[in-house]
Amino acid sequence: MDLALQLLFTGIGIGAVYALVALGFVLIFRATNVVNFAQGEFSMVAAYLMVVFAVDLGWPYWVSFLCALAGMALLGAIFNLGVYYPLRHRTFLPVIIATIGASILMANSVLAIYGPQPQVLEGWFETPGIQLGPVYLDSQYLLIIAVTCVLVAFNYWFFEHTMVGKKLQATSQDKEMASLLGISVSTMIMITFIYSAVLGGLAGILVAPILFVSIQMGSTIALKAFAATIIGGFGDVTGAIIGGLSLGIIETFGAAYISVPYKDAFAFLVLVLFLVFRPQGIFGERVAEKA
Amino acid sequence: MKLTRRDFAAGLAIGVTAPYVIGSARGQGATLKIGMCAPITGPAAEAGKYATGGAKLALEAVNKAGGVLGKQLELVIEDDQTTNPGIVLAFSKLAAQPDIVAFLGSIRSTQVHAMAPDVLKLGKPVMFGGTDPNLTKLGNPWLFRFRPNDSYSGRVIADYGVNTLGKKKWAVLHSTDAFGTAGGKALSDALGKLGAPPVLDQGYANQSQDFTPVVLAIKSSGADILGSYFTFENDLGIFARQLRQLGVTIPWVGSPSIVNVTALKLAGPALYGTYGVADYAEDSSPGSKKFGTAYREAYKVAPDNQSSWPYDAVTVLAAAINKAGSTDPQKIREAIISIKKFPGAEGEYNFDDKGDGLHGYNIVKNDKGNIVFDKHIEFTD
Repeated sequence: MDLALQLLFTGIGIGAVYALVALGFVLIFRATNVVNFAQGEFSMVAAYLMVVFAVDLGWPYWVSFLCALAGMALLGAIFNLGVYYPLRHRTFLPVIIATIGASILMANSVLAIYGPQPQVLEGWFETPGIQLGPVYLDSQYLLIIAVTCVLVAFNYWFFEHTMVGKKLQATSQDKEMASLLGISVSTMIMITFIYSAVLGGLAGILVAPILFVSIQMGSTIALKAFAATIIGGFGDVTGAIIGGLSLGIIETFGAAYISVPYKDAFAFLVLVLFLVFRPQGIFGERVAEKA
Repeated sequence: MKLTRRDFAAGLAIGVTAPYVIGSARGQGATLKIGMCAPITGPAAEAGKYATGGAKLALEAVNKAGGVLGKQLELVIEDDQTTNPGIVLAFSKLAAQPDIVAFLGSIRSTQVHAMAPDVLKLGKPVMFGGTDPNLTKLGNPWLFRFRPNDSYSGRVIADYGVNTLGKKKWAVLHSTDAFGTAGGKALSDALGKLGAPPVLDQGYANQSQDFTPVVLAIKSSGADILGSYFTFENDLGIFARQLRQLGVTIPWVGSPSIVNVTALKLAGPALYGTYGVADYAEDSSPGSKKFGTAYREAYKVAPDNQSSWPYDAVTVLAAAINKAGSTDPQKIREAIISIKKFPGAEGEYNFDDKGDGLHGYNIVKNDKGNIVFDKHIEFTD
């Protein structure tokens, strides 16, 4: 039982990271109908920005955090203008390839500027964790879970109860109709990219004290987050959260009770099962091809 | 003078081919080339920087001392991207250059396995640092190892834990790649021979983000000592932190990666008090000290085994080619095999006919971040 509780906590913690990145995938997919394969690199770039501000420049953690998120907002805007906007009238394929190209560019730019050394970023709290009975609660994982909960609530409020959120929803559902109603579609897409980059960055900054800051950190998380997005139902915000958490729990328990070396295989086995038996994911709606 | 059509054709042919002929002659004459496959990008890019640094340092020393066969040595580096397909591609690019006389391969056994068939096909000497014992048992006469193999590290870890630390309930943790699997098996076999078979033999996949299930397995196994073979420092760092966070404080004797500069930086206090087998320990011999001083002076960082084996590989190779008096691959091979009592950064080289140059390991301790040399254990069998 003690073992299961410890595994459950870790599974939720790592799942929350997948969920945060998956959320970025979903928001961009809803707004533009394309998958942004550079979402993982947003996390990596943000973690490096934190290293630059908090470690190299020695700025206070909070200031560094806000500056890193501001940097991510800027990167999101540049990404939209440089990668998506010029190709917005093309089919989804050139845009997806452009996002893959952008991810390679970002990874190698950081490598060229900052070098290949993995970096250490200290966590938010001086106490590494607390012992609660038989379970050790890593303070960084606790923070990640808390931030994910807050973001779920924020997303609900933002998309359901603010005008900008409703405009974003309208844009994602039907761009032409939204445009006819006077909504600036390009502005909405710009906001989506900025928000997604900030979300991805947030995940990167939060997970960096656990996984260290390295060029590969983004792609490792993004692959699992992508699987989480499909499991949850592509295009569904709740699905991304549930998918991410489920994936974290499944792989942690699978590793503990079945096989550690095949930990990643459990995640992708679940993905394959979903693709075969429920391709629309947990929360996705079945979309029939029109005759 | 009248220019005939034949004169014109001959002139044109000479004009077109001359640059290549002259260039080729210059290429053959000016320097002696060594190819090096190194991880410039990918997860081991950090280690790749140290490896090329070590090789370049040896290159400078060799050239300063007069070079090889009266020529200056030149290093041609190709990026192996830290992947198996990457190193196969990098090696094929280097192998296509006929004026490269010998090569440096990888410190990663899995990559050396990947390139081994092409090495055999090419028939030129390749120095490498991978420690899977099987690599020099493949029947490939062109592979030469510049680090002690894992049959030695496994025996040293087992011997130290059982006889010096007095622990008999072992948890063996290893990566599931070629290096980790071979190392884990070597350690388990050595423990079996000492009458202390492991109570837990646990593999893990590289680039894991979480080691909680592994730590809990170690905890519930009742092991009183841990032996490990980690391939990547990131994994080692994450595991070390989680091990300590989850309250496991048993002694830990690890393979060489546990004392790597990168691992020490990433894991910090989580590795304090651990032991490691280290093929490179700065205080283990005058040769190691000499390399350490030169490396620190050149790069302002502490040396480790990522940089020491390429340093030795270039130094030994240069000595062997000079001894052979030729760049004929077979003659270079014979010269390398005949090298005995050669003082290198990693230790004293005594090559056997399989291509293994070193036959022992150092035991070191992490004393609050400082790596302290304990003793060297050499095997003759």
